[in-house]
Amino acid sequence: MKFLAKYIKKYWKSFSIAVLFLTFEAISDLLQPTIMAKIIDEGVANKDINYVLKMGGLMLLITAFGAMSASTRSVMASIVSQNFGTELRSDLFKKIQTLSFKNLNKFDRASLITRLTNDVTQVQVFVNGLMRIFVKAPLLAIGGLIMAARLNLHLSVVLAVVVPIVTLLIIVNLRLGFPLFAKVQRALDWVNSVMREYLSGVRVVKAFNRFDVEIGKFTKANDHFKDQSIAAGRLMATFSPAIMLTVNLGIVVVLWIGGLGVDTGKIQVGHIIAFTNYMTQILFSLMMISMVFNMFVRAKASAGRIDEVFLQEDSLSWKNETVRPSHLEKGRIDFEHVSFSYEGTMGEAVLKNITLTILPGETVGIIGSTGSGKSSLVGLIPRFYDVTSGTIKVDGEDIKHVNPKRLREKIAFVPQKNVLFTGTVAENIQWGKEDAPQEEVEAAATHACAHDFITASPEGYQTRIGQGGVNFSGGQKQRIAIARALVKRPEILILDDSTSAIDVATEAQIKAALKKYATGLTCLLIAQRITSIIDADKILVLDQGEVVGFGTHQDLLTECTVYQEIYQSQIGKEVL
Amino acid sequence: MSKGTEQTENNPSTPPPLRPGGAHRLRGPVVKPKNFKGTLKRLWNYFGKERKMLSLIFFFILLDSALMLLAPFLIGKAVDAMSLHNGKVDFNFLEVMIVILIFAYVGDAVLTFFQGWLMAGVAQRIVKSLRDALFKKLQGLPVAFFDSRTHGELMSRLTNDVDNVSNTISQSTTQLMSGLMVIVGSLIMMVILSPVLTVASLVTVPLVFLLTRTIAKKTSVFFKNQQVELGKLNGHIEETISGIEVVKAFNHEEKVIAEFDIVNTRLRAVGLKAQIWSGFLMPIMNVINNLGFAIVAVIGGILAVKSLITVGAIASFITYSRQFVRPLNDLANIFNILQSGVAGAERVFEIIDEQEELADPTNAVALENPKGHVVFENVSFGYRSDVPILKNVSFEAMIGSSTALVGPTGAGKTTIVNLLTRFYDVTEGRILLDGRDIRAYTRDSLRSCFGFVLQDTYLFSGTIKENIKYGKPDADDGEVEKAARMANADSFINRLPHQYDTVLSENGGNLSQGERQLLAIARVILAKPSLLILDEATSSIDTRTELHIQAALLMLMENRTSFIIAHRLNTIRDADTIMVIDDGQIIEKGSHDELMAAKGRYYNMFFNQFKNVEGALE
Repeated sequence: MKFLAKYIKKYWKSFSIAVLFLTFEAISDLLQPTIMAKIIDEGVANKDINYVLKMGGLMLLITAFGAMSASTRSVMASIVSQNFGTELRSDLFKKIQTLSFKNLNKFDRASLITRLTNDVTQVQVFVNGLMRIFVKAPLLAIGGLIMAARLNLHLSVVLAVVVPIVTLLIIVNLRLGFPLFAKVQRALDWVNSVMREYLSGVRVVKAFNRFDVEIGKFTKANDHFKDQSIAAGRLMATFSPAIMLTVNLGIVVVLWIGGLGVDTGKIQVGHIIAFTNYMTQILFSLMMISMVFNMFVRAKASAGRIDEVFLQEDSLSWKNETVRPSHLEKGRIDFEHVSFSYEGTMGEAVLKNITLTILPGETVGIIGSTGSGKSSLVGLIPRFYDVTSGTIKVDGEDIKHVNPKRLREKIAFVPQKNVLFTGTVAENIQWGKEDAPQEEVEAAATHACAHDFITASPEGYQTRIGQGGVNFSGGQKQRIAIARALVKRPEILILDDSTSAIDVATEAQIKAALKKYATGLTCLLIAQRITSIIDADKILVLDQGEVVGFGTHQDLLTECTVYQEIYQSQIGKEVL
Repeated sequence: MSKGTEQTENNPSTPPPLRPGGAHRLRGPVVKPKNFKGTLKRLWNYFGKERKMLSLIFFFILLDSALMLLAPFLIGKAVDAMSLHNGKVDFNFLEVMIVILIFAYVGDAVLTFFQGWLMAGVAQRIVKSLRDALFKKLQGLPVAFFDSRTHGELMSRLTNDVDNVSNTISQSTTQLMSGLMVIVGSLIMMVILSPVLTVASLVTVPLVFLLTRTIAKKTSVFFKNQQVELGKLNGHIEETISGIEVVKAFNHEEKVIAEFDIVNTRLRAVGLKAQIWSGFLMPIMNVINNLGFAIVAVIGGILAVKSLITVGAIASFITYSRQFVRPLNDLANIFNILQSGVAGAERVFEIIDEQEELADPTNAVALENPKGHVVFENVSFGYRSDVPILKNVSFEAMIGSSTALVGPTGAGKTTIVNLLTRFYDVTEGRILLDGRDIRAYTRDSLRSCFGFVLQDTYLFSGTIKENIKYGKPDADDGEVEKAARMANADSFINRLPHQYDTVLSENGGNLSQGERQLLAIARVILAKPSLLILDEATSSIDTRTELHIQAALLMLMENRTSFIIAHRLNTIRDADTIMVIDDGQIIEKGSHDELMAAKGRYYNMFFNQFKNVEGALE
């Protein structure tokens, strides 16, 4: 948990002040029963009303002091925990944003989101709790013990027996409870997964009439969950009365020993009352500590998950940039014996020994079956991932020697999945170039064949996308994403199967527009439809990570069997 | 069945929402039930045979509260036994008190134990039956119900809402009961012990109410704001993490970090306010409690000096006054939990009250091995009454023929299939199968005559074998393997670590799209349906893989009345009849050659799709 060091260094002073005031608060709580004992033993016994009033006043004074301390530490605790949480969340977010994909892919996206939201909150709540009750509980327990012992050493023998027994009971309870609650959680996960599966497969279930099976599955999971919950509930039902009984019997013993003591004049009655007060105080503190322990385990798990992210070393590095002559061929891409495999996948390489050159201004279509490595290949160019071996050069420079920022500035990427962000259409397109004036935005949209449908909606470019906004169709979103890439005016444009939802005619229009929009633009086009890439300057055919064809449509049609197969599957024999 | 092996950590379902911090339970606004009384009553009816047990538990609680009210009184008497006789202790009396006290404490422990033990069972059994009822209900609901709701929403009803109900039953009701008992009982005991002290200590009660109300009012606004900011922050996180490829591709890391910091800082500001204000509550309550304590001590002390009250009575009184205040603080809280529990129950009942698929008419016949002659007669339909999807559609599909449906998205292709299988019922007109209205058959028997290959394959967690057998559970291994071979699936299955016994994760996550589709086809082959529906069956598969599947599909279609929906026109050109559908109407119908010759809409679509090819060939 090295990441915590930074915050400890920053907040330990405020934290200590909060804990100091918490200690004052605990002391004022602890003093009350002793003063009460004094009122009874000295005020009432001696019929001294003045003394009673004096002590009452002292009690109020201490109460006021306690309240001030409590308020101060409450404010301190809020400030520290809120600042800490905000900062931790921000640092974690920054860390995630700057990690390379190689690191990021070690985590599920959903799990990263949970870490940012839930786990940070969990840790924050724990830190806040530390300054509220978690430190107070042990203080009260120990303080109560000291006060009780000071009050009457004789009676403390009872404590010497009761406290260890209660502690033992709590420990056993936790020991037995943890695995049980973990089982409850797993049982719940099971119920949820059966439910989730049913919901996503509801048509299949209905089509095959398999209601009985589904109900059977669910009942089994649900029964299991019920049994586990009952077991856990019953464990709690056993221990808490046992703990209470131990303390209560302790009180009875105090009364009896106290009675004997009072008879021989060794003990005063007020002490007995105060003593029983301390006993209950200690009991509640012990219970609180067991709760704290629960919280601690949870917070520790959360902190561990956060730590996993912080521990990721950014795998992207680059040599100091050497200033290069700028007249180099802009938009040239070279692959030299490039092999690549995703970390963790023990299987074979995704790309095997790929060597090819794409010249400036060329449009290259990439085709191949799913899993042939198309997306991986283009993902290497903006250095989303690093090659396992070999070299990739952009503009003649090894991309490992270039600052990824500078590299990515040259490249515009339209991903397979539509990713648009909350905001207006204009804002989304301006993602490509933040200061792009409206004309440029519209020009980009026009070339992406998006202008017409954008202006057709009542609010035009100010139409809001996403949460609560208008939902464009898949093909329209793809076109906005293309406009976003175009407005950047890149040297290299990569379209990763990003025209799949666009009809053929529009697609052809966009491709024609691309040529006009940017002369000299190098364009990589992944597609499923052979018609999408048939007129590209060159077509790259990938199969199981290897280049099996690279040339024009006509060349490939005669030379490349894989390409022929694809062609036949889509066009059919007759056209040939 | 994945026995929930994935821990909560990697659970990609909805991440739980952030909650405002703090050990106290001052939260944002509580969701109020619409009909508190009615729902509560209905819930009570729902308890069924657990009602007796629940009554027993309530009886235990009452008994236990009485015992707990007795204890401070006994302690007071015991103290009196020590203090009233000038230093001499009345041991006889003390002994009696102590023995009674021991019985009371043991009784309390036993009662608490039984109450908790029984309650765990009762609450969980009720919740289980509620959850079962909910799930069974889901089986009877029409597909329209699922189409109109998100999975997250339904999941949340099944888990969160049912959980809320369980908490309400097991905690809030018992706390409410014992709380009320203790308040009333303590008050009575206090009055009995000393009316003067009672009045004195009750002075603080209105103060408690006033302060908690003021603070709660203030903080509820802050918490609401916090919830809003939290929602924004979570939205931002969700968006930028799931779209991180784009963020990085456009070098926008710093931009999104800056945006994040703005929202994050706003959240801190409101969060801080909420926490500080609510943080004052506990110290203030503490002061008031201690104030009450001091008042009782001083006035009690004075009374004791004047011998108007015994020391033991003061001791008892202090305990009672504390007991009196504590549940008072909790009651508002308990009531909130109770309300959200009842609101949860209300949401659960909402689903239970949903309209199920209409029961089959009593004279419905079971459909067995139909020949597969399908006729649509003037069929109209809309998912909503004001938006018609199909307008007066009529056509006939001959036995063993294949009919392809093409047209733009939203034209009504899938709707035709939904009507044929009675996922929805026609609004007007009728659909005949083998000469009889499909509504005259039992729904189950009708559906089991259809085989579906859909774009989304929906595999279930379990082994490959179980998935293939889904449509025919009693199939033996030989049949399963034969079906897999026919579907061209056996080659990849045999490459898997445990072949047919390989366990698939949820929805076959560890298989490729094409492999999953092959499994789905094998499933249909094994089930041997009389009619076949292919809804974009190959659209998420690349065309080479499609080529391999195509053979399996053709075999499947042989001698079966089939309906094919496809975007890629080449996949349907061999169909006996091609129907072009647009805007809910059939605008063209015929074989590929006929439609090409007609040079109409189909011709245009086809030409468009292959325009580039022709161009390249010129």
